[in-house]
Amino acid sequence: MKKMKSSRTSSIVLHNLLIAFLAFFWLIPIIWLVCTSFSAYSGMNTSTFFPQEWSIVNYGKLFHPDTVAQFPQWFMNTFIIACFTCVISTMFVLMVAYATSVMRFPMRKPLMNIAVILNLFPGMLAMIAVYFILKSFNLTNSYIGLIMVYSASSGLGYLIAKGFFDTVPRALCEAARIDGCSEARIFWQVILPMSRPIIVYTVISSFLVPWMDFVYAKMILNAGISTKYTVAIGLYKMLDKSLINSYFTQFCAGGVLVSIPISVLFFIMQKFYVEGITGGAVKG
Amino acid sequence: MANENKGGAAAAVGGFFRAIGGFFSDFGTAVVKGDAFTRLSLVWMGAGYAKRKQYIKALLMTLLEAGIILFTVFFAMQYVPKFGSLGTVEPEQVFNMQTMKNEWNDYDNSFQILLFSLFSFVVWFAAFVVWVKNVIHAYHLQKKEEEGGHINTFREDLHSLIEEKFHITLLTLPVLGVVIFTMIPILLLIFVAFTNYDQNHMPPTSLFTWTGWTNFISLFGGGGLTSTFGYAFVRILGWTLVWAFFATFTTYIGGILLSLLLNSRKTRLPKLWRTLFIITIAVPQFVSLLLVRNFFSNGGIVNTICANIGLTGFLRDIGLVSTSYIPFLSAPGWAHVMIILINIWIGVPYQMLIATGVLMNLPSDQLESARVDGASPFQVFKSITMPYLLFVTGPALVTDFVKNINNFNVIYLLTQDVYVTTNQAMANSQAKEVDLLVTWLFRLTQEYYNYKMASAIGIIVFIICAVFTLIAFNRMIKGDREGTYQ
Amino acid sequence: MKMSKKVAASVLAAAMALSMTGAASAEETISLTLWGAEEDQALLAELVEGFKEAYPDQSFDIQIGVESESTAKDTVLTDIEAAADVYAFASDQIYDLVKAGALAKLDDYGEALQGVAGKTLDDVKAANDAGSVEAASVDGSLYAFPMAGDNGFFLYYDSSVLSEEDVASWDSLLAAAEAAGKQVGMTLASGWYNASFFYGAGFTTGLNEDGTTAIDWNGTSADGYTGVQVVQSMLNIAGNPAFMAVADGDISNQLASGALCAVVSGTWDAVTAQEVYGDGYAATKLPTYTLGEEQVQQGSVAGYKFVGVNAYADNFGWAVMLADYLTNEASQQARFDQREIGPTNLTVVESDSVKANTAIAALAEQSPYGVVQLVGGKYWDPAATMGELIAQGKLSVDDEAGIQEALDTLVEGVTAPIE
Repeated sequence: MKKMKSSRTSSIVLHNLLIAFLAFFWLIPIIWLVCTSFSAYSGMNTSTFFPQEWSIVNYGKLFHPDTVAQFPQWFMNTFIIACFTCVISTMFVLMVAYATSVMRFPMRKPLMNIAVILNLFPGMLAMIAVYFILKSFNLTNSYIGLIMVYSASSGLGYLIAKGFFDTVPRALCEAARIDGCSEARIFWQVILPMSRPIIVYTVISSFLVPWMDFVYAKMILNAGISTKYTVAIGLYKMLDKSLINSYFTQFCAGGVLVSIPISVLFFIMQKFYVEGITGGAVKG
Repeated sequence: MANENKGGAAAAVGGFFRAIGGFFSDFGTAVVKGDAFTRLSLVWMGAGYAKRKQYIKALLMTLLEAGIILFTVFFAMQYVPKFGSLGTVEPEQVFNMQTMKNEWNDYDNSFQILLFSLFSFVVWFAAFVVWVKNVIHAYHLQKKEEEGGHINTFREDLHSLIEEKFHITLLTLPVLGVVIFTMIPILLLIFVAFTNYDQNHMPPTSLFTWTGWTNFISLFGGGGLTSTFGYAFVRILGWTLVWAFFATFTTYIGGILLSLLLNSRKTRLPKLWRTLFIITIAVPQFVSLLLVRNFFSNGGIVNTICANIGLTGFLRDIGLVSTSYIPFLSAPGWAHVMIILINIWIGVPYQMLIATGVLMNLPSDQLESARVDGASPFQVFKSITMPYLLFVTGPALVTDFVKNINNFNVIYLLTQDVYVTTNQAMANSQAKEVDLLVTWLFRLTQEYYNYKMASAIGIIVFIICAVFTLIAFNRMIKGDREGTYQ
Repeated sequence: MKMSKKVAASVLAAAMALSMTGAASAEETISLTLWGAEEDQALLAELVEGFKEAYPDQSFDIQIGVESESTAKDTVLTDIEAAADVYAFASDQIYDLVKAGALAKLDDYGEALQGVAGKTLDDVKAANDAGSVEAASVDGSLYAFPMAGDNGFFLYYDSSVLSEEDVASWDSLLAAAEAAGKQVGMTLASGWYNASFFYGAGFTTGLNEDGTTAIDWNGTSADGYTGVQVVQSMLNIAGNPAFMAVADGDISNQLASGALCAVVSGTWDAVTAQEVYGDGYAATKLPTYTLGEEQVQQGSVAGYKFVGVNAYADNFGWAVMLADYLTNEASQQARFDQREIGPTNLTVVESDSVKANTAIAALAEQSPYGVVQLVGGKYWDPAATMGELIAQGKLSVDDEAGIQEALDTLVEGVTAPIE
């Protein structure tokens, strides 16, 4: 009996050690990122893993902008863009999801099929055309243009939300209809209150888009005015060949600073992500 | 477009065509049987409404018609007539000493002609649909009046937009957004694939024109100008598929294993561990991947460590590397493996999240009865957990595969400016062994302005994705999915 | 379209009528956009203020944006009309920019320059180094203003480790480095650096009328060497354990790590080299290398940086004035004083402070062997691959047929028609 217990304990220890080992392995680059951001040296240290001299000077520099690094300004820009993107995208996604999930109308199936096809095209290719469309509306180098790029097509990403709405019992909607509720009221007062996980998920994931994207932002904000950059292009440009040696550790510090709020949002989101995705997948 | 549809299978396609057929037969009926005002609607779109006393609607329709006519005369006619040639007038300028400005002639811009013609086509198509619908509607109103039925007031019409026509309210803006920012760009680039839009024919200074199938012929190695394009295309396509396969399945299986590991009863502090793994995906990719790229670069920290512990020397001795460093991201083979491994690093936590959610919903009664029957944990996993997971996440697996075919970020951030190919035939067509079709086409547009070939490659990528999705979905959806686990 | 043509014509006529009455709109604020390198921003802001003071009668609204000289072409060609009115770029981009119509032929605007700035284009040409003027000209016409003459490479070394005799040839350099337990770094996987061996042996590159590249590296050079011999020499150097083939763009990083006692690079690494080598900081021309039985001086690329004017600039005339101002004697002096950038203006070149600068002196020493690199867009990828083949030792010194084949493939790729 005693022996069995000890073998059980050792298997638990082994099991947890394995997880610890994997977690450690997974975190090595992140540890490097954090350590390097505290290095006193400005370039890339290639001889030792940990910095030879520790300092918080990089964080200080980020908040005392020079012509290259304007971190607080970039942060504000991205924040503004992200807020608008988030509102518009969330509205679009939920609207499309409701229409395709709860309502029945003749064009429903064809529209959904077209959405599937559009999602198969490589988005990179459309970029140059999107740029010229924005340019003909005189919207390049403006945040409105960038917000439109991030949110205009967001309706195509409605599937997860639709999957979730599909799980809301139809009887509720029917009952509301019999009570004389309009469709708009069912949307606002029946479906949305029951869909907190998927709303939170949609809000956060669309809020994160501008923080992650560097390709479109670089293309659309092409006047080279560095105070107008988003965090992503600002940091990306720090790794330019001529700058990497004096800005690499600042890049790391900037990376850490951006990652903190995003990580927080991510932890909130992951719970809803799991609920939203599986809710839809099982019953949809 | 919709006739290329898959997934929903033949029924949907049939339904779609029936709907189109019905649409036109309704139109025919309306024209034949309509009264004077219904027929007048063919010319004056507000006529039918005006007759039935729906004056506001009549006004709106008239304004719409006027708007479309103005659009056609003042905008579309500047571009559409040149659609066939894509412009003929090259720019010329004269300097004016007094104003210190250049004065330009009224030159053509091929790209603008293409874009605005296409835009006009889309507007006209929408206008045509509205026009036909309008006539049908006028006929319905006429019939209603003849039958003495109720004709909606404008207020009632508005009210229907939050009632039975609520979907129109919901979908108008999102669909408009998709049409302008996704559909028109895609159609535009399909057109570009049939032109000679490249570095020698770049607007505004030069014009480009239609060239038919030339680009596709040279892509498949058929003579033409680019003798090695076909060579590079086949190899890049091969790697794209290999990559998509491994990237999809390694992260999928890894995610399931990790979530099983974390959700086991033996795990202490499962939340803490999960959080640690999620940190890797919470760091934006352009930070984490650019960092990893420098981490593994030829003169990077990992190479220094490997050299210090003698690993580099050992690998040299057994002939695996010929250089004084380990070419983690700079030699074919090494780079291919490293890219897949790094993708596991950022991909597995994601899949772990999904798998965790799915496992939480596992039908527990089945698990219990299996345990009672004395099934081993492995047997439970094999015959209950795995089939359930596959059932739930199967469709996601297909979309993941397509996403990986188009996975721009991982490849671009890890190899751009770092990887130099040693395959001369590849280099001659500006390709690298580690390129996916999407990164190749991206560099063709950004560094070589070869828009025509990039567009042709883009179309091929689409066809591959479409065929794959079609086959995969048909296989998977054939079985009776609903009800199995409800 | 016809209608709008008529409109345009009438506008033109009206404008001409206006100008004939002499009612030039001097009160109008002239907006200009300017692109320069990230590191130049503070300097440019200062120079722009100087420009405004130089023309006090005219009000300006000048916006300065960031665009590195090395990537200017990529950004400009993506959308010429959206690019800055005045932008700085590296000399190798001039042909693509001219061909795409992104640079205006300055010959046509000499009159304007004379009227406003009081100097002729010939004055500009005479004031700058002849090589830079030649590189800024296409088919004999000037397309850009020379700004900097230091976009080339030479050898930095640590004089506490290496003597002046050591750095005279690659053989002695590598031997001395090995003895000291250090390495010598150079980028091979770039057509900009690796061409130096071929240029040294008398090989050439050139541009054809249609924009394709002419290259003779798979044959025999004017000096009687074969391309195979050059590659063999490069393989011998690259195969030496004291040689480090540094990835393109990684030089300053490797230099800072302290493993290199000598490195082939340009003035942009001067600060890093000074920090690393301290009192031993020294620079000189590139070494000679063993080709066949003889010692041959390694060539180099004589690169410049220019300021160009966008042909589609709204206020074209004033854009020309700004470009001229940013490259005049005073501006080049300021650029050297603040950023140690080597000038092209002959007066500044001759000044004592410039002559005393170690890096610029080394560049001047190398300049007799410098070549203006004329290549088209198709050159870079195949040439980089050739360098990487050599750096990784994928070719064997003894396999002459294999080397010849690689060179043939290189030439085939480089000379391919542009599409």
